[in-house]
Amino acid sequence: MNAAQIGYVFDEAATMLRRHKAANAVSIVIMGLSLLILVVFLLITLNMQAVIDRAGDEMRMYVFLEDGAGEPAARDIQMRLLGLAGVEEVVYVPREEALVSFREALGKDSDILDALESNPLPDAFRVKLKPDYIRSERLEAMSQEIGRWKGVEETRYGERWLERGEALVKGFYFADLFVGLIILLSVIFVIANTVRLTVISRQRSIEVARLVGATNAYIRIPFLVEGAVQGAVAAGLAVGLAAIVHALARRHLPGLLFLGGEAIAAFVFVCMVLGAVVSLGAMRRLLRL
Amino acid sequence: MEQDQRIIVGVYHLSKNFGKHFGLHDINLQVANGEFVFLVGPSGAGKSTLLRMIYMDDFPDAGQVVIGPHVSTRMRAAGIAELRRKTGIVFQDFRLLGDKTVFENVALALKAAGAGLGEIKKQVTEILMRVGLYHKRYDFPHELSGGEQQRVAIARAIANRPAVLLADEPTGNLDAVVTRSILELLFKINAGGTAVLMATHDLELVKSFGQRIIYLEGGRVVKDSEMIYVGDLRKRIDDSLVGRRAERLEERDIRGEREER
Repeated sequence: MNAAQIGYVFDEAATMLRRHKAANAVSIVIMGLSLLILVVFLLITLNMQAVIDRAGDEMRMYVFLEDGAGEPAARDIQMRLLGLAGVEEVVYVPREEALVSFREALGKDSDILDALESNPLPDAFRVKLKPDYIRSERLEAMSQEIGRWKGVEETRYGERWLERGEALVKGFYFADLFVGLIILLSVIFVIANTVRLTVISRQRSIEVARLVGATNAYIRIPFLVEGAVQGAVAAGLAVGLAAIVHALARRHLPGLLFLGGEAIAAFVFVCMVLGAVVSLGAMRRLLRL
Repeated sequence: MEQDQRIIVGVYHLSKNFGKHFGLHDINLQVANGEFVFLVGPSGAGKSTLLRMIYMDDFPDAGQVVIGPHVSTRMRAAGIAELRRKTGIVFQDFRLLGDKTVFENVALALKAAGAGLGEIKKQVTEILMRVGLYHKRYDFPHELSGGEQQRVAIARAIANRPAVLLADEPTGNLDAVVTRSILELLFKINAGGTAVLMATHDLELVKSFGQRIIYLEGGRVVKDSEMIYVGDLRKRIDDSLVGRRAERLEERDIRGEREER
C-alpha cells in the first residue's frame, strides 16, 4: 500500500463509523453491556481481594515470654525474631501495656480486672508477618521453632481462624476463576458475534472492493479500525456504567474500591485489541480474506 | 504461456465442471485489443461463469485464461487485485455501494489503485461528465434510475482506464430505451480503445450492430464470428451507425462541458 492508500483506509474507517452511526451505536451498546458484567466481576474480585489482604495485614503472631525471662533474654528473642524470614516487624508489648489494652477491650466490663491482685499477663512480642508467610503450614512451622527457644512460654496466631479463612479464600479463588472464565468466554462470544454481524452487513462493500482491485490489506484495515474503535468505546462505556454502579454501591459500602487509572487503560486497550482481532477473525472465516 | 500482443483476453481449452449437466467445456476464444465482442447465449449457457473465470473470481478445472501478463494457472491474491484494477467489470445488478455517493462509488476504484486525491478528483469529474452524470455526483444510488445506476457502474469500471471491460448482462434490468443508451455508452468507451466483452441472452438486440458475436450454448462455444484486430475494428466502428452516434455523443459532451464552464 502506498501513502495515499494508507490515508484512504483510515478515511474509509472514519466514514464507515460516521455513516453507520445507528448500527455502530447498537453494536457498542451490546458490547458495552456485556463488558459491564466483566467490569462488575472485576470490581467484586478487586474488593474481595482487598478484604483478604486487609485480613492478612491485620494478622499478628504473639510470642509470650516466660515469667521473669529478663531483659537480656527478651532482647535476644527480639533479635532472633527479626532474623527470621517472613517477619516484617517486631513490637515489644510489656505486660502493663497488655493489661491496659485488655482493659480497653473489655470496656464497661473492665471492673472485673480490679479483683486481680497482680497483673497475670506476660510480656510479649507482637510480630507482623510478611503477606507471603501468612499460610497455616508456614506459621505452624515458625511457631514450633519459636516455641523451642529459651525464654518463650508460648506463641499464638489464631490458628483456627487462619485455617477457616484459608479454606474460605481458596473456595473464593476457585469460584472466582470459574465464574470469571465463563464471563470472559461469554463476553468474547458476544463481541465476536456482534463484530461478525457488522462484517456480514458490509459483505457487499467488501465484494465491490475486491471487484475493483482492492488488496486484502486495503479491505481489512477499515474493519480492523472499526472493530478496535468499537471495542475501545464499548470498554469506556462499560467502565462509565460500572462507575455509576460503584458510586451507588458506595453509599452503603463506603470503603468500596474502583479500578485504578492504569487498570482502566489496560482494560480499554485489551478490548480495543479484542475488537480488532475478532474483526479480523470474522473476515478470515466469512470472506476467506 | 506467451500470447499474441494483439490479444487482450485469451481463453485456452477452458473447462469447468458443476455436476453432470452444467459447466464449461473446452472453451477457446480470444479478444483482441480494442475489439467489441458480444457473448450471447440462453440462460444457463455459462456466460457469467466464463466471465468469472476471465476476471478470476473462479478458476477452471482445466485450461487457462490469459489477460496481459496474468495467467490463471499462476495467479496469487496480489495478482488478482492487480488484474482487477486493469479490468473493468459491470453487472446486471450494478453492484453500487448504497452508502456512498455517485462520486465516491467511482472514486473507490481509483483509491484502490492508489491514485492521489487530486488525480481522483480530476479523473472522476472527467468520467462522470463522459457518462453524463456529473450533475448527480452527490446523489446516492437509491436516488438514481436504473439506467443512471448502470452508468455509474460503468464509470467505476472504466475509472482506471482498463484495457478490457467485461459486462455481464449490463442491460438485463433496463427497458429498451435505456438499454440502447447503455449500449451507446459501451460503444463510445470501445471507440476510445478499450476492448469490451459483453455477455447477453438477447441475440435480437445485438445482431444488428455488426460486431463479433460468440455463441455459447450448454457450456460450449457453438459459433464465433471472426476476430477483428484493432485496425480493421476502427474502420468498422467509424463506418457503423453506432460509431457515428458515439462521435455525436462525444461532441455533445464537449459542448456541454463548454456551456458548463
